[in-house]
Amino acid sequence: MKEISTNVLIGKNNFAKRITLPSIIILVLTVVGPLGFLLYASFFDWSLAVPIPPRFAWFLNFGLVFKDARFWNAFKNTSVLMITGIIAQSILGLIIAFLLNRKFRFKKLAITILALPIMVTPVVLGFNWRIIFHEHYGPLNYIIRLLGGAGSSWIADPKLALFSIFLVDTWQWTPFVTLILLAGLQSIPHQIYEATDVDGATGWQTFWRITLPLLRPMFVLVILFRIIWIFKIFDPVYILTGGGPGITTETLSLYTYISWVKYWKVGYTSALALVQLVIMTIIATIFVRKVMQRRRA
Amino acid sequence: MGMNDKKLKEFRQRERRKKLNHWFQNLLLTFFVLLFGFPIYWIFIGAFKEGGEFFSYPPIFWVSHFKFDNFIRALSLGGSKGTLDSLIVACIGTVLVVILALFAGYGLGRFKFGGPNLSFFVLSLLFAPPIIAVLPLFFIFKYLRIIDTYLALIWSYLLINLPFAIWLIKGFIEDLPEEIESAALVDGYSRFGAFRKVTFPLIIPGVVVSALFVFVFAWNEFLFALMFTRSNVRTLPIVLSELIGGHGIQWGELSALSLIAIIPGVILVVFFQKYLVRGLTFGAVKG
Repeated sequence: MKEISTNVLIGKNNFAKRITLPSIIILVLTVVGPLGFLLYASFFDWSLAVPIPPRFAWFLNFGLVFKDARFWNAFKNTSVLMITGIIAQSILGLIIAFLLNRKFRFKKLAITILALPIMVTPVVLGFNWRIIFHEHYGPLNYIIRLLGGAGSSWIADPKLALFSIFLVDTWQWTPFVTLILLAGLQSIPHQIYEATDVDGATGWQTFWRITLPLLRPMFVLVILFRIIWIFKIFDPVYILTGGGPGITTETLSLYTYISWVKYWKVGYTSALALVQLVIMTIIATIFVRKVMQRRRA
Repeated sequence: MGMNDKKLKEFRQRERRKKLNHWFQNLLLTFFVLLFGFPIYWIFIGAFKEGGEFFSYPPIFWVSHFKFDNFIRALSLGGSKGTLDSLIVACIGTVLVVILALFAGYGLGRFKFGGPNLSFFVLSLLFAPPIIAVLPLFFIFKYLRIIDTYLALIWSYLLINLPFAIWLIKGFIEDLPEEIESAALVDGYSRFGAFRKVTFPLIIPGVVVSALFVFVFAWNEFLFALMFTRSNVRTLPIVLSELIGGHGIQWGELSALSLIAIIPGVILVVFFQKYLVRGLTFGAVKG
């Protein structure tokens, strides 16, 4: 009996190493290569648009990034999408989660329809919303005109283009927020509500004092996930506006893409990518501290 | 007596208010379901519209005929090549990722191999914006002469999908008590035998869900495909985006192709709803 357990112990670490390492080696190689390249390239004044060989330039590229008005414009657009998106999607998601957290017929059907946008191919939703936003033939303007409005050109209007992207993002991701908050609501024991009922608390009191505090962890999760997701937003913007009109809807990912594909700036794009990596690493660290570790406890 | 009447009246009033409230909530929910469902419906109905029907005002909300002309034309406009290439990349990538992730997830989940730091490394890859990897991978792939091949896409998708699948499967393994394996080990099974005979059958649902997510991510992916392919490999999102950007957008064909493109995602939502939240939150919410 004792012999077996020693065998088991000896075998354990070796076995774990053998089955885990293949994936880890692949990941490390796939990550270290590109990361090394970025670090290297970001120190060079290096562009493929001009026939000049790369020249070592210390921190020139990072200085250029922070002095670049277009970078700050992209940073601003991404932040605006993030803040407005998170606020709107949290409120809307909470309302819908409350509506779903009851007993009624067709509940599963309602959840299924609501969840569909999450998994739609981003390119498809970009195309689809281009039709919906269409100035002359789009259903959105049709409905607005039915209600007495004038309609607008949405993604082609510099004032409304970013708002249009926000609408599409909110359409796609409110269901995600809803599902998470619904899971949170369902995990609140019924007895708590019965107790507050007996105590004579009003609906609003119960909501502010009991439900919302209990949903707090879910909100933290939702907000962090939306920050991470919106930070990388690329496909819908590329298809809907391409960053335009002008640069009114250019996000960080899109500007990084443009500075490489359109301007062939290797050094500058590398610095731009590294700046984003640093921002994301900070957010990811918060994420792991707040969310993933609580799960283990 | 009067006291009781008053109470009864109050009770009835409250019941009526409750009922009214319920109906109001149903109405509001119906509105939201229609609102969020409408764009999907618009893809569906668009796939059956004839060219001119897109350019009518008021817009056409319903078609009386369900002809598949758009689908047939869409497939000849590069749609069949796109579907095939997407299938090839997504299928090979999924098989590869699931096999690797199954073992790595087991190693990290059961044996805590490498401690929390290694797990954090895997997780952190999920947070990095893919745009960061685009430029360096392009140079690396160019050096290896694999731009515009299936290999370039399968490899770059590993970067997103492998950490995701490892993390998800790790969570499913952590849900199982370790004792069930100890019993098998005492019975004389090898480590691998215990995994194959005891643990694996129990996490099959988790593996299937992970595989489906990974498949959909690869199937839907656009940025890497845009950067690493030219003309040899053309996945569905690439074919779609070129049709969108082309002159004289063919809306009917595009809608038909869009409908084909969203099938895997729809399957995931409809048949694996139970695991949707869990997958999307990398296992943080069990749903």
